[in-house]
Parts: sequence; structure tokens; C-alpha cells
Amino acid sequence: MVMNTSKSKLSREEIIDALKKFSEDIIFVESAGLIIRVKKDRLREVARFVHDVLDAYFRTMMAVDERPINNTFAAYYVFGKDELGLNIIIETHTDPLDPEIPSISDLVPAADWYELEAWDLLGIRFTGRKLYRFILPDEWPEGLYPLRKDVDYNLRPAIRKTLKQPPTGPKVPVGPYHPALHEPEYFELFVEGERVVDVRYNGFHIHRGIEKLAESPRFTYQKVPFLAERICGICGFVHSVSYTMSIERVAKIDVPERAEYIRSIILEIERIHSHLLWLGVACHLLGYDAGFMHTWRIREKIMVLAEQLTGSRKTYGINLVGGVRKDINKDKIQVAMNTLSSVKEELSKLVEVITHVPQIVKRASGTGILPKDDARKLSVVGPVARASGLNRDVRKDYPYAAYPYVSFKVPVYSEGDNLARILVRIDEVFESINIIEQLLDKIPQGPIFAEKIEVPEGKIGVGNVEAPRGEVIHITITGKGRPYRWRVRAPTYQNIPALKVMLKDAPLADAPLTIASIDPCFSCTDRIVVVDLKTGKAMKRNMEEIIRKNKVI
Amino acid sequence: MTLKKLLKPFKLLSIAKKAGVVTVLYPYQKPLITPEFRGKIVIDSTKCMGCGACANACPPNALLITESNEAVILSYFVGRCIFCGRCADVCPTGAISISNEFELATTNLDNLKTILVHRHRECVNCGRPFATGRILEYVLRKVPMAEKYINECPDCRKNRFINIVSIRKR
Amino acid sequence: MKKSIWVFHLNTGSCNGCDIEILDALTPYFDVERFGIKLVASPRHADLVLLTGPITLKTLPMVINALRAVPRPRYVLAIGACAVGGGIWYDSYSVIGGVKEFKKILEEHNVEIDKIVFVPGCPARPEAIIYGVALLLGLVKEKVSKEVVVID
Repeated sequence: MVMNTSKSKLSREEIIDALKKFSEDIIFVESAGLIIRVKKDRLREVARFVHDVLDAYFRTMMAVDERPINNTFAAYYVFGKDELGLNIIIETHTDPLDPEIPSISDLVPAADWYELEAWDLLGIRFTGRKLYRFILPDEWPEGLYPLRKDVDYNLRPAIRKTLKQPPTGPKVPVGPYHPALHEPEYFELFVEGERVVDVRYNGFHIHRGIEKLAESPRFTYQKVPFLAERICGICGFVHSVSYTMSIERVAKIDVPERAEYIRSIILEIERIHSHLLWLGVACHLLGYDAGFMHTWRIREKIMVLAEQLTGSRKTYGINLVGGVRKDINKDKIQVAMNTLSSVKEELSKLVEVITHVPQIVKRASGTGILPKDDARKLSVVGPVARASGLNRDVRKDYPYAAYPYVSFKVPVYSEGDNLARILVRIDEVFESINIIEQLLDKIPQGPIFAEKIEVPEGKIGVGNVEAPRGEVIHITITGKGRPYRWRVRAPTYQNIPALKVMLKDAPLADAPLTIASIDPCFSCTDRIVVVDLKTGKAMKRNMEEIIRKNKVI
Repeated sequence: MTLKKLLKPFKLLSIAKKAGVVTVLYPYQKPLITPEFRGKIVIDSTKCMGCGACANACPPNALLITESNEAVILSYFVGRCIFCGRCADVCPTGAISISNEFELATTNLDNLKTILVHRHRECVNCGRPFATGRILEYVLRKVPMAEKYINECPDCRKNRFINIVSIRKR
Repeated sequence: MKKSIWVFHLNTGSCNGCDIEILDALTPYFDVERFGIKLVASPRHADLVLLTGPITLKTLPMVINALRAVPRPRYVLAIGACAVGGGIWYDSYSVIGGVKEFKKILEEHNVEIDKIVFVPGCPARPEAIIYGVALLLGLVKEKVSKEVVVID
């Protein structure tokens, strides 16, 4: 079949026609996208077609225990076609007594971690690949899968009492420092001499069972936004907006415009504070502590502004399904405008200094390069993608909230090194200030909460937001009074596998900055374990030691 | 040109001088707090009626209602509170208000608990305790003609109604 | 009571909100270095452990080892709703539930803590953290107390 696959020529009808050869069961759901249901033996063909021929990028995968509904285990693979703003969801089911699905991680490299997670938490076996313990601790009992419907959310297996030895990573003799000294280390770098050959991520220490909690009898639809906000303390509001967006799309709730404007304003304020935080930490990692102090001093004004607008410095708690709880009056708008203009002025002077400091420029340019092809194959998101030449931003591709009403630029650089990622984030801060000023100017009058909220059962909804770190996507299947299944996918989850490419054959001294440049949760990147393959020794090193030992200037 | 570029980092001195000293010498000076800040909640014991709407709406279960034969006990544990303010939103009598209090550090967890005990009123007919006094007063305010049977427990009310209906049928 | 305390930051699975506020306390607006407080890299040098997070199952052995490495007298500042009472997920399958539940496990491993100061908040403001440290040093007095009201 001759397909016109150039960028902006395909329409939704043509995609449906092309997919018909795999399955007749294709429907378009307003709240989620195009859903095609296939038998699991055709899964690999469809995935290859959608990922390579249709050029859609892989967004997330959700595995659900649907035994109460239709006696199967189901998996939903979500791909996104940026040019049309369309989600293409591949749905497949499997037998509940022996759940097994063919793996697509060789065709779609980004799907690797999602399959491991489904194996760990639901017990679905993926054939054609190696499966190992991923999220739960090593001592968790076999055969106990927390996300299954017959397991209680507050189950406490007896392993707590017998945890005597810390779980050990690679089987190498340990050096002068005990590797499990205080903070759990997240990254293990395998080195030969001074060059890094491989990196392994050993994480998920912050797994708190949030997806299971939302299904428990303790929670209802209106209590989950508070749970979502505490997923991350730096960018929590994006999770709250994403969840409420997925429910509002399912229930077709008419959210008032003023509420959408307020949500967008708070989202942009969060972006500014998160980027300034990251900029300070990056300066600190490079040894430029004066930059750290000044950046955080400027950031403090944003925190005070957030407190004046919402009532709390972080975890604002103003978002509910159907609108917001707190209004912004004229005085607060004036205060916000003043704060933003003073921040813009001070920041432009500070950025001029920071981007001319020799240690920063020399160490950041040319290191940690992620080529555009690899970025596309791994489906990275956020500033990491934009610094490698991919023009991908959820605010423009899949618009939500009040973003269709404002005009802004999306900064894209093509070098793909650390300096490009720093510059992308700095540009985004100034764009955010611009967006907030436009929103405060144009905000319409009206109510801030929807009048009618009725959520139907058994429907699927997708909500997505551009967080400071990248794209956040939530999928919800509604149930009675609370979600039936809630899938949360944070952006760093999709970006960490790109580190393997960025750190390969790079000198060890560049590793801390590269790891920090994808903006993971800052407290995980403080300690890294360096394994020297030649001598077989594993030593824990402080980030600062590595930097200071190999000064460039 | 290159000399100008080399001297740019020294602009930091002028930035620092303009910013000055911004440190707030807390706890010897007032903290950097705004009036909108959501701190610890205050429960007005003259208005609370022990209905449990706040405990229903509290996401981390910091407000808990336990019922026994004699009393309804509302307990508020600040340690688990997430300072969201949903309880103040849903309280029907406006008994919960949000203060600015954030200096809550303590060495003893018991200091973080506030307990309100609502004794149950007894039924004038059978003597069994059935509801808190405040709830009955609230209902009376909304429905004044309930005065005739407000002080009886639901079972006695049912029996009285059945008796009245069966007398009428005869 | 010592005057200049060296603190060690221990994250047991928190969302990072309280951790950012701890780091914020070092920045110019709050500046805890005027009390002589310094962030150290190893628990063996620490006087006080700043503990955030509800203590997840995966971090449990590392937290026990870290606390064991702190020399006596051991002081712990439990910061945030998660560390004090378990937070919004206090009964999840993957969470121990804050310092209150954790003390029982510590006793089984023969690790004693001499003094714990609880600082509620979600996240705990930098000023609240400074208040907690000042309470430990004896500079301020406690403000909260248990209240029981009986209504007839």
C-alpha cells in the first residue's frame, strides 16, 4: 500500500484505514484517542508499524488487572502522533491464569522499563526478553503482585523483620567505603581507567504504592489530587492537573475558563521555580557556589509569590476535579506582575554572568552528547529532547488548559550537549515569565468551579502536561467513586535510559554534570558508585570529589 | 573583545552589592510569612457538633472520628496533617478555621493531638445514648417542628410511629 | 548542649519537598550557617540526622546502617508529615510509616536514639525547621500541647 508518510500530510481517517489491515476493532474515544484492539500475536507487527512507519513516539504503557470486568489481563500501549495531536492506543488482552504477552522492547527501545514494571507489579510475563526484579525490594516474596485486585493495599508481608543485610549490587569486592552508607545510591558507573563504559540505574527507592492507594477504599475522586501533588515535591502540581484533566475529559466536565487560566499561571510559576532550582544545583556541581546562592536567592521571591497566590510554598493544594479552590483578585495580580518584572531583571543580569564563567562553558560544551537519532529512538521528552533538535512540547502538540490562548516560543537547540540543555532551560524561564504576563493580562471573569460533576464508570481518559522535566502523562480507567486503575508516568522515567548513550566513552569527570543535566530528582544524584573494571574495585565517590579532582581551568 | 568577555564574571560583584543583605534573622526577627499561609487548624469547640464531615474529607486521615456507646470522639493529629484545608471547606457549622501557626516542633508526639469528646444524649424513653447534643440542636434549628420527637432515639421514634399508625387504622 | 551542630541529611523515600526546604535553609534568606550549622557528607561526622520521608521498604536496611554509624549521643530531627506520622500514605504496602513505627524496628536491631524532635508540615517551612533545631539547642520553648475538650 502506498502511504504518504511525510510529516503533516496524514489525516486521522488515513491512519484508521492503514490500521484496518491489522484489526477491524478500531474506535475513536474523545477523552483518550484512537484505540485499536488486537490479538496479542499481532502486537509486534502493529507496534512496528505505528512506531516506524507512522513515526509516532512511544508515550507510555499501562497494564491492568481486568479480571472483575472481562476476566483478562490487559495492556494498553500509548503512542503519540505529534503533528495531529492524536494518541494511538494499542490494546491487547491475555489469559488471566497464565498471563503472557510478546515483548516489543527490541522494536521500541523505550518500552523496556514498562515491561519490567508490569512483570514486577502485576505478574505479566513478557516473552523474548530477560525479566528481573525492578521496582520492589529483592526480599519481596515471590508470587505476590501488589497491583492485582485480590491483594490489599495495606498488606504488610513479613519481610520487614528479617531485613538484616542490605541488598548488594554488583558482585565486586568493596573498597574503603561501605556502599550502603547513607543515601541509597542510584547510579553505578562501570569505568575502565578514567573512561565510563556502562551505567546501571538501581532505583525506585521512593516507591510508595501510589497507584494502588488511589484504588483503595480510603480514597475518592476528590481526594486523589492531594495524593498526586505529593508524588514529587518539586513539580507536584503538574501531576495534580494531569489527573484532573484525565477525569474531566472522561466525564465531559465543563471547567470554567477562569479556572483554566489560574491552573496555567500556577503551572508556569512551578516551571520557573524548578528551572531556577536546577540552575543553582548545576552551578554548585561545577564548583560555582556563588551562582548557586544567587540563583536560589532569586528563586525565593517566586516561592513567596506562590504562597501569596495559593496559600502554601509548595504542594499548593488548590486543584480539584472540576476547577480550583482559590481565586486571584486584582491586588494579587498586581503583586505578581511586580515580582515577575523584578525577577526578570535580576535574572537576565545573573544569566549573563553565569554563561560567561569559563569553568561552566568549557566543561559543559561538547560533553554528554545525545545525537538526534538516539533521542528519537528512545522517545526522550522535555528539555533533553529539545536540546537534541527534536521540536517536541506538549503545550503545542496536545494543547490543554489556557495555552491555546497565549503565544510563546519553544526553544530548540541542535548540539545535544550539556551546554545546550542549560541554555534550553534558561530560555524557558524567560518564556514562562512572558506567558504568565500574558495570562494575567487576559484572565476572564467568571466562576472557578464547575457546576455539575458526574463521572461515568468504566471509561478511559488520558491527561498530559508539560512538566519542567518533560512530559507527564496520566491514564485513568474510572470506577465507582474512585479510579479503577490510575497510571502515572513521570518524565524522568523515560529520560534515564538515555544516559547510557550520553555517558558512553566519556571521561569520568564529566559524569556528574551529565547525570544532573537530565534533571532527575536532585537527591538521587549526590552519590554514585564507581566500579573500576580493571581492578574490580567498587568505590563510592562524592560528586564533588570527582569534579574537584579533575579541574579543567 | 576577549578582555571584555573575561571581565564579565566580575559583574557578579555589582549584582551582589545591589542585592545587599537579605537574611531574615529568624527566630530573633519575624519570619518571611504571608497572611494566606495555611498552618495548623483550630477547632472551635462551641460550634463543632461531631458530625464527621471533616474526617470524611481528610486525605491522610489526620482527623478521625471514633464512635463508642457513650461518646463521639474527634481526634486531630497534627503530625499527619497535610495542611490542605479541605476540612474547613466542608464543615457545615464553620467550626474549623485555618491559622498561621507553623511553629509546631515538639519532642513528645502526644503534644500534637487535639481531642474533642462529644457525650451522647440519652433517649428520654429508653435511656439509651444515641446522638450528640450539638447535632440535635443543629437539626432543631433547621426543622423547628422536630421538637416533638427530637429527644427520642430512632428506635423509639419508629415504635411511636407504628403505634400511631396502627391506632389510626383501627 | 552543643552550640555548633553538624547535620547529616538522610532521605528515606521522600518526595523531595522537605529536602528542598532543608537546602533552602542554607540560602541567603534563611542562612543557617549563622548558627554554625554545616551539612556533612558522612554520618560518622554528624551530631544531628535530618530525616525526611516515610521510610520505604527498599531504603530500610540503609537507614538502619546509617543511623548505626552516627556516634552517640544520637539526635534525630524528623521533618515533615511523612517522617512524623507516615504522611498521606501511612498504610501503604511499601511504607513503614514514619519514625514512630520505625522506632520499634530500631530496637530490634539494638540502635538507640537519644532524642527525637518532630517537625510537622507538608512541606515543612525552612523557618519551621530552624525552629525545630532551635528547640533542640534549647533556644526556644515548645508551643504546642495536648488539648482535650469534653462537650456534653
